Amino acid sequence: MNILQQLINGLVLGSGYALIAIGWTVLLGAARLVNFAHGQLYMLGAFVAWAVMTKLGVNYFLAVPIAVVALGLLGVGLQGLMLRPVMQQNLTSLMIVTLGFGYVFQGGAARLFGGDPERFVSPLQAAEIRIGEIWFTWQDVLTLVGTLLLFGALWLVLNRTRVGAVVRSVAEDPRLAQLFGINAALVYIGVFVFECAAVALGAGLVAPRSPILTSMGFDEVILTFVVVVLGGIGSVTGSLVAGFGLGLFTALFGALVSSAYTTAAAFFVLLAFLVLRPRGLAAR
Amino acid sequence: MTIDLEATGLSVRYGGNVAVDGVDLAVPTGRMVGMVGANGAGKSTLINALAGWSRGTPVVRGTVRLGGASMDGLSPHRRAAQGLVLVPEGKGIFSELTVMENLALVRPPADTTGRHLFSMEEIHELFPRLAERRHHKGGMLSGGERQMVAVSRALRAAPRVLLLDEPSAGLAPRLVYELLETMRKLVDRGLSLLLVEQNVRATLELVDELYLLERGKVVARGPAAAMKNDPRILEAYLGSLTA
Ligand SMILES: Nc1ncnc2c1ncn2[C@@H]1O[C@H](COP(=O)(O)OP(=O)(O)OP(=O)(O)O)[C@@H](O)[C@H]1O
Ligand SMILES: [Mg+2]
Repeated sequence: MNILQQLINGLVLGSGYALIAIGWTVLLGAARLVNFAHGQLYMLGAFVAWAVMTKLGVNYFLAVPIAVVALGLLGVGLQGLMLRPVMQQNLTSLMIVTLGFGYVFQGGAARLFGGDPERFVSPLQAAEIRIGEIWFTWQDVLTLVGTLLLFGALWLVLNRTRVGAVVRSVAEDPRLAQLFGINAALVYIGVFVFECAAVALGAGLVAPRSPILTSMGFDEVILTFVVVVLGGIGSVTGSLVAGFGLGLFTALFGALVSSAYTTAAAFFVLLAFLVLRPRGLAAR
Repeated sequence: MTIDLEATGLSVRYGGNVAVDGVDLAVPTGRMVGMVGANGAGKSTLINALAGWSRGTPVVRGTVRLGGASMDGLSPHRRAAQGLVLVPEGKGIFSELTVMENLALVRPPADTTGRHLFSMEEIHELFPRLAERRHHKGGMLSGGERQMVAVSRALRAAPRVLLLDEPSAGLAPRLVYELLETMRKLVDRGLSLLLVEQNVRATLELVDELYLLERGKVVARGPAAAMKNDPRILEAYLGSLTA
């Protein structure tokens, strides 16, 4: 076993976890909202890109942005439907409603795209780089660099711009924000659109690693929940660190122990971690 | 004398509990109107209803007009944008944001007719301490400093009518006078102000007009000079018990 290779695998895996989790992180942190259809949105992102490629003959580099925009628009519609429970911060209703949306998406996608595994192929997946015994693909590089850029840009916007301050103010106290002349409903829509668009980008970059299925939603994002909680709910930097940490853990655990138990092991680490640090990495 | 803010037949209830009951109220341009009353009299409920805002889910009836334009049915952020600016009781700033970020959340409007603009220089002149604290987070400030930020934020929004709900709560007695005197100076420059206060003595010194609220109803109103001698005010607020 080559330890350097496993470290690289871990970083690539981790950037994928972080990228898929970022929308959830911002939604939870910036809006104190939940969306349990996250996994199905990931699935939809992948299938929209795949359908645009295979049915319309569009190339991968255009199909992914199309999926990002499509999911962003879907986000506007969904948030419009949920605005009442959102404005009342009624998390219980939102949990149920978004779970329901998830099932609707899954069923709809199965009707539309069929139940068979499909090959969603990125041309960069086949472009390998070999350095001695180590190898990775250009898709891995794109995912890693894309994730770092997105996190960097997001951090800057949230912490260094007025738009970021507006989002943070609504996160802290939406009612008070209204008195500052801020349209909290609009901010919620913006955050939700970001979540949908970001998970579509994550799907566009990560999903080509394996065949896609309309039933994959839950399984594909289960580890992002670990990332979000480990990172300290809502912390952008925390979830980046947690994503890489989990990626490295998964790669090394898979190589050294057994790849069959990595998900269980990841949750075990989460439990142990939460006992010691209940508020996650970002807790001060 | 023109009226900047006018409420007629304003009633607010929380479920079956009527907190404000048919109140008529007017804030003339460039005047300072005070509102006093016992705890639970409905002062906050009333001033919040003027701004169309609440932390609860009240049912509001009646009309509110700002400079002749109806505010009924407008959401609080719209009213704020039109210059009806409220500094609520208690928490009035964001603790996760710095002083500068708190103040930068509001933007002076494009249309400034009837509005009172305050530059950052003027605000630092009013509250010199804020200049030193500008990079501190709201949560790290003292209670008095928070109140200063809350009031400054309201001024940065270029109010037409400023609504202040107990801005002096938690302040040292010397600071209470200081803050209220600062507010009086702004009124003398043309701002219209509605002030809810517990400190009746200080309020009476500074306001032009005073309303006394009891169980959601206006039981007395008049010029400050006359209200000083109103038996209800004397008995309840200016007796030997009050500070
Ligand atoms: N969010 C709410 N939900 C239900 N009832 C409320 C709510 N806020 C206030 N009330 C009720 O409305 C009445 C008036 O309360 P309000 O806060 O307006 O009084 P106040 O005059 O501002 O008192 P204080 O001097 O203590 O600030 C009280 O009976 C109170 O219990
Ligand atoms: Mg009150």
